[in-house]
Amino acid sequence: MKKIYLSLIVLLSSVMVLTGCERPAFQKAQNGFRGTAMVDIQNPRINADKAKLNEAPPSLGAASASGDKASKVYQNVKVLGNLSQAQFTTFMVSMTNWVAPTEGCAYCHNPANFAEDTKYTKIVSRRMIQMTQKINVDWKDHVQGTGVTCYTCHRGNNIPQNVWFKDNPQNATGTALGNRNGQNQAAESVGYSSLTYEPYSKYLLASNAARIQGKDGLPNGNKHSLQETEDVYGLMMHFSKSLGVNCTYCHNSRAFSDWSQSTPQRSQAWHGIQMVKDINNTYMNPLTGVFPPHRLGKEGDVAKANCLTCHQGVNKPLYGKSMIADYPFLAEGNPLTVVADKKVAAK
Amino acid sequence: MDYQNLFTQTQVIGPENHGAPINPYDQRERTKGIGFNYLLGKLGNAQLGPIYLGRLGVASLIFGALAFFIIGFNMLAQVNWSPIQFARQLFWLSLDAPSPKYGLRLAPLSEGGWWNICGLFLTISILLWWMRTYRRAKALGMGTHVAWAFAAAIWLFLVLGLFRPVLMGSWSEAVPFGIFSHLDWTAALSIRYGNLFYNPFHMLSIFFLYGSVLLFGMHGATILAVGRYGGEREIEQIVDRGTASERAALFWRWTMGFNATMESIHRWAWWFAVLCPISGGIGILLTGTYVDNWYVWAMHHGMVPSYPVTNIVDPSIATPPFTPTMEGVK
Amino acid sequence: MAMLNFERKYRVRGGTLIGGDLFDFWVGPFYVGFFGVTTVFFSFLGTAMILWGAAHQGTFNVWTINIAPPDLKYGLGPAPMMEGGLWQIITICALGAFGSWALREMEIARKLGMGLHVPFTYLAAVFAYFSLEVIRPVLMGAWGHAFPYGIMSHLDWVSNTGYQYLHFHYNPAHMIAVSLFFGTTLALSLHGALVLSSTNPGVGQTIKTPEHEDTFFRDLIGYSVGTLGIHRVGLFLAVSAVFWSAVCIILSGPFWTRGWPEWWTWWLNMPIWH
Repeated sequence: MKKIYLSLIVLLSSVMVLTGCERPAFQKAQNGFRGTAMVDIQNPRINADKAKLNEAPPSLGAASASGDKASKVYQNVKVLGNLSQAQFTTFMVSMTNWVAPTEGCAYCHNPANFAEDTKYTKIVSRRMIQMTQKINVDWKDHVQGTGVTCYTCHRGNNIPQNVWFKDNPQNATGTALGNRNGQNQAAESVGYSSLTYEPYSKYLLASNAARIQGKDGLPNGNKHSLQETEDVYGLMMHFSKSLGVNCTYCHNSRAFSDWSQSTPQRSQAWHGIQMVKDINNTYMNPLTGVFPPHRLGKEGDVAKANCLTCHQGVNKPLYGKSMIADYPFLAEGNPLTVVADKKVAAK
Repeated sequence: MDYQNLFTQTQVIGPENHGAPINPYDQRERTKGIGFNYLLGKLGNAQLGPIYLGRLGVASLIFGALAFFIIGFNMLAQVNWSPIQFARQLFWLSLDAPSPKYGLRLAPLSEGGWWNICGLFLTISILLWWMRTYRRAKALGMGTHVAWAFAAAIWLFLVLGLFRPVLMGSWSEAVPFGIFSHLDWTAALSIRYGNLFYNPFHMLSIFFLYGSVLLFGMHGATILAVGRYGGEREIEQIVDRGTASERAALFWRWTMGFNATMESIHRWAWWFAVLCPISGGIGILLTGTYVDNWYVWAMHHGMVPSYPVTNIVDPSIATPPFTPTMEGVK
Repeated sequence: MAMLNFERKYRVRGGTLIGGDLFDFWVGPFYVGFFGVTTVFFSFLGTAMILWGAAHQGTFNVWTINIAPPDLKYGLGPAPMMEGGLWQIITICALGAFGSWALREMEIARKLGMGLHVPFTYLAAVFAYFSLEVIRPVLMGAWGHAFPYGIMSHLDWVSNTGYQYLHFHYNPAHMIAVSLFFGTTLALSLHGALVLSSTNPGVGQTIKTPEHEDTFFRDLIGYSVGTLGIHRVGLFLAVSAVFWSAVCIILSGPFWTRGWPEWWTWWLNMPIWH
């Protein structure tokens, strides 16, 4: 009889070990009243792999603002013309490090004629610079004084590692069978749950409020369905994955919708949603015609941003380190001016 | 260590038991095959079979199999008919209910119609099986308590899949057929309707659920503890109280001040187990129909404990949400 | 004297674990014993603490009374009384009372010449409480991770603890435990129904025998576990349900910090089909 107990214990422990449980580690932060279990739980060993990704690159230092303006020195300068030449060239070098470290200047420019707009990347970057300024100026509710630069999304890649495209409708075999209903797939986007795996179009592109709970106890016109609830839940799984936090980071789950029981982070997240809608609608979508086909999604749509694009698994991108101190012009400007975004033929 | 009455030490196998007699017409429905399994015999009876087939049983199995295969083939189609991906993704796959836009109409096959059909076949199968539990008891001259216990479970099943969706005006409120997807449904129901923990019938149902587990732990342990006096011979002990029943009753009387009898404990058991799905079904039925947000409902009934507020305000009051404008878009 | 008509002959001395004849008596129908005294002591003290906490909170509404554990910052040390210390004392009282109850049940079983199955089963339930309020908080480094004492507040704790792992239903041990809970309830309803259907066969019928019980279930599903077997099965299901519940919560936090759906990636990424 004793052998049975022993083998049972061995079996249980081996199951736990083989199925990848974590070795205990203590890193907990309390987010609510004691006993409510609103706790942020982190395992530093699991988080170690995010450290390299979230290192801010060394800065080239703030360049002097004195001297001739870039618009006078260079041709076809449509944005950042008010920078000094030193600032302008330093920024160009930085931007190259942040977005195209291997390709260099030729990623956007014709090396024979830097002023030309022949490459689509140059058109796109102008708009992206304006987008960066918009984020830093008008979306302080979300990015605070920390702000963003190209690196926040790109991290040394031509295309940020976490962008999203629209999905083609899932209907594997034809009309009668095989419709996955936009869910029921072990998608990484929703943390491997069975929830709606593309909640971004609805909440980070189109303007639907991610709200489904009613304010009254008795029915009073709240028509939101369970399907919509699962859509919002899928979006929330995306939030958790993007920031590396759990639901209680923002909510007291006994009353998800009640703001008076939510943490300040929830308010900041709301502004984040609005900001991402702005990015996708005002900047990304209009650039669809500029990108070549190999940069577009299966539905011919442009790459779009979601929370993971900047946050990349950490509650504050780059652990909250600000990069804009040396690039103050990225936090000013009149971002409402839209620059023409059609490709201009080589002269 | 002494023998603890948990596993049979010496198994005694008698001749095959073909069961108490029923009327000769029905007797033919019993299968002939009878086997014995040693491992089963360590726990209880070793005999496997015979089983009573019967028209109700066979019909129930046919409808049940149809429902099962509708679900299975839909799932297989979703993974492009690959059996490997089917096995890999099985827990995530699902046959979903129709989208809200179809209301209570029959949806197109690929958009929930199969769910409707499957639900219908499954319901028929379950109701036929219920009739089977009733008839088999009657045929043996026994009470129909099993059938009525099953009816409580069927009540919950019908509330979830039929009564409540009809009252809500939409099949989309019903539970999907899938392992993880039905768990997503559970979470979504609680989130949408303001936290089901604050639903008093949900509380009652859980009380009876945990209570049932408590009761079976207590009753199972008690009977095993008086096994040396023949405690498991419950019918005989009910009709003619022996020292097993007396000691069992006194154990609880001395422990908690009151006790059941050998018969009445089974009434406690039946009611606790049956009240779990009954009250649960009521709680589900009231959700969305009578109450839209259980937390707010509970607040109005003075049931919500207060924690310090965080002074966070809905930002959409001061700042309008971003809406994409048509101008400025090239 | 509140005795059943067959009870007198069973009221003998003996079976005690501690104290000998000192506490070997009954008060009304209740057996006392040394552990009866300790049970009463811990229960009264714990209840008084709860009432004190409620008075301090300013409410005696049964739904909203809340005795909360300390903030995480106090770690595993003692906390000020009104900042979680009260909770700590109540927990000690609870464990004292539950342990006393189990030992008292052992004394009663020994006196009645019964096996010790009941107190051991009860200890399984106490183990679940102990896992939640002691084992897991200790593994996580703070008493503040334990659940508060309050009808609704402990449910708020359950909700938030679940959402710490994004979607707790995907916890595999939780799935096993829930299945066992429902399975136990199913088995209980069937067992209760079966015995009652034999002893209450309806108007005009004779009381049936265990052979009829076996026949009913063999007719129905092809197998009948029998009168002894069903009690073993029921006990096993019930204790397993509680065991896997304890497993599912001890894993969450100490041995798993991510969302529970993500745990399933080991299955998705198996080499044979990845």
